Amino acid sequence: MPLDTSTYALAHLRLDGRRWNELRRLHAQISTQAAADGSSYLEQGNTKVLCTVSGPQEQKGGRGGARDQGNEAKVDVEMNIAAFSGMDRKRRARSDKRVQEMQVTIASAFQSTLFTHLFPHSTITVTLHILSQDGSLLAACLNAATLALIDAGIPMSDYISSVTVASAPSSDQSLDEMDPLLDLNGLEEQELPFMTVGTCGRGPGGGEEKVMVLVMETKVQMARLEAMLSVGIDGCKQVRGILDGVVRSHGKRVLESKVS
Amino acid sequence: MTTPGVLLPGEVVPQSALPATKKGTLTLGPGLHHVPPSTISATTTGSLQTDNKKGAIWLETSHGRYQPTVGDHVIAQIHHSSTESYSCILTPHTPYAILGQLAFEGANKKTRPQLKSGDLVYARVSKTKIECFNSATGKSEGMGPLKAGMTFSVTPSFARRLMMGTSKDGQAKGGVVVLEEAGEKVRFEVAVGRNGKVWIDSSTARETIVIGGLLVRADEEGWGVEMQRKMVKKVLRDV
Amino acid sequence: MPSEVTPSTNNHDFILTALRQNLRLDSRPLDTYRPIDLTFSSDPDTYGQTDVRIGKTRVLCNISCEVGAPYPDRKFDGVFTISCELGPMGSPAWEVGRQDQTEIILSRILEKTVRRSGALDTESLCIVAGQKCFHLRADIHILDHDGNVLDAACFALMAALLHFRRPDVSIEGEEVTVYSVREREPVKLTMTHHPFCITTSFYPSRQGSDDDLISVLDTTLQEEQCRTGSLTISLNRHGEVCNIAKYGGVGIEGLSVLTCVNASLEKAKMFDRLLKERLAEDEKARQAKIGAMGLELSAENERVMERPVG
Repeated sequence: MPLDTSTYALAHLRLDGRRWNELRRLHAQISTQAAADGSSYLEQGNTKVLCTVSGPQEQKGGRGGARDQGNEAKVDVEMNIAAFSGMDRKRRARSDKRVQEMQVTIASAFQSTLFTHLFPHSTITVTLHILSQDGSLLAACLNAATLALIDAGIPMSDYISSVTVASAPSSDQSLDEMDPLLDLNGLEEQELPFMTVGTCGRGPGGGEEKVMVLVMETKVQMARLEAMLSVGIDGCKQVRGILDGVVRSHGKRVLESKVS
Repeated sequence: MTTPGVLLPGEVVPQSALPATKKGTLTLGPGLHHVPPSTISATTTGSLQTDNKKGAIWLETSHGRYQPTVGDHVIAQIHHSSTESYSCILTPHTPYAILGQLAFEGANKKTRPQLKSGDLVYARVSKTKIECFNSATGKSEGMGPLKAGMTFSVTPSFARRLMMGTSKDGQAKGGVVVLEEAGEKVRFEVAVGRNGKVWIDSSTARETIVIGGLLVRADEEGWGVEMQRKMVKKVLRDV
Repeated sequence: MPSEVTPSTNNHDFILTALRQNLRLDSRPLDTYRPIDLTFSSDPDTYGQTDVRIGKTRVLCNISCEVGAPYPDRKFDGVFTISCELGPMGSPAWEVGRQDQTEIILSRILEKTVRRSGALDTESLCIVAGQKCFHLRADIHILDHDGNVLDAACFALMAALLHFRRPDVSIEGEEVTVYSVREREPVKLTMTHHPFCITTSFYPSRQGSDDDLISVLDTTLQEEQCRTGSLTISLNRHGEVCNIAKYGGVGIEGLSVLTCVNASLEKAKMFDRLLKERLAEDEKARQAKIGAMGLELSAENERVMERPVG
């Protein structure tokens, strides 16, 4: 189904009425699941993800001998895409390469920001349930996982925040340039070349944000990457601010309930 | 030592190649099989080696995985430790070799070396374990933990040739002169493990890389003694 | 023991110290590939079989095709599948039937680089819309794993696709005839562009700090095991990027991503040139062989002609 992106050029407004650098409504909660060690629920527009974390716990035995070589915790990610989450009801097999790739991405991204060396011979399991899909799936999963891991109290160097960014035909048609668009929904994702950027802050005064995750799977001219990347990194900062707000307000609530 | 030639599995060792000893007894080494009454056939490929003095005959092979044999010096990598011992890797994807926590020179419960996963030791294969000291004398005899440096992988047979040493007339028995030649130009430390590992440490990374590279190439490309001399001179001139 | 043996602490530290002095174990500069060797099948009737060696890494790619029905939702497209085989032949750490991370990443990146970017025009594989099309299958086998399997596999796949020829077909009304290689000259595949994968690995330039990173191309297995992060970029010589993959690992600055892309473009051009050269050489060799065969045939004809005269 081709999407009519030509209207963007006229009104400078995207299909859902946003401007180019506007995020969708990002709503999140933490500690939603009592049974898990850490959990979060995140809505990024119509993409809805529920994340639970269990661990760090001792490794389940039976795989490759009880002793793992590592002196650090292993991050395991399981993704569960609900059959009703997409436009048409479809069961995604567990062996779907695309899902597996996302699992690998999320696991290795957190493997390097979490202080895994504090928990030798253990596993941290991150389970993601995708309840509704509308673009930016990987980004939403990364954000939800960050929140759940914070809730689980696992030490990390900083938040990983993530966002998608696309390259769309410019609003000024006289120029042969492209405009970057931030935080895509499902329709835009099908139509435009886009990438998922995930950055990790460097703590207060730690310098520039670092790109932890960068996944792009559509063809785009090299020259456009710079604009996309800088808008993406900027978008990650915005997302980070929102996530930070969620964590702080939750912390406040916890503190207040303790005091009273 | 003479080299009567290469044998393939099943081939019969010619009577003329057998060493003649006064006693008339014959000691068979690896790769050979005695078919009574008097036939000796090869079981692997390799070049036939004989020692007339001892009446020994064996096949020198250049393939396969390292099989631990008592008395071999090896370079082992610590995989993990337990209360009694370290589990070490001699060759990849094989069960671990056991190195006792106290199998070091002058080690007791308090002075034993604290080794971490990934550390290297130079050790000797004893009956069921490996050890970093001669259990008969209690001396280290050059064995123990290896600090810094770099290990290079070579074939087990090349490592064997490296360890053959020199005969009385100064000829390298194994036909490998890379280390001797290089030693005249640069200073470095070396440890050769029969499990196909050569550990080299020198004052600069560059020298270590060059010497290791020479060894690996001499092994892979099968350089003769002359070629080795030439290449060592050529490569070390630039360092 | 399924997992690969990790390098010893000594080797790990040494490799890092050496890299910080711009030195590698095989004495090549940080941004240079090992010698790349590409050979095609020597049989003149076999197309699309390539054997790529980058240093000690060796990858075999074979393309095969058969006629089948297209997918009902893609009536005008042929079917193109890529399958990767990582068996114990390549590395004892890989077991048959057990998927590991390397395989997932390898097949996904090849999929994105070659299939999703539309490098192969699948519409040209269609014979009768909705009924008959060619099923093209690329089998990639890693025969020897000494690092940088991704770049090698991608190069092997591109080379095989460009070398492959499918049988010619003719359609008359309802009837479709597929001609064998002997009957009619087989047809080259329609390729829209030639993307290549370039993987950059990152190493910390100081102990315990991620601020400055050393970037290294074409890592060997040992180097790969010591790296703290990597970035795979697929692009063609026109600078069209069709895949960027950075799955976690150490964080890098936005600017260095762009530097990497620029450096990768040079390497993509190098791959492209090398591939063109080898394809032309192979073409020439095949022509020469066919030419020699043609001469023999004509000699036979002449003899037949002579007989009535004598």
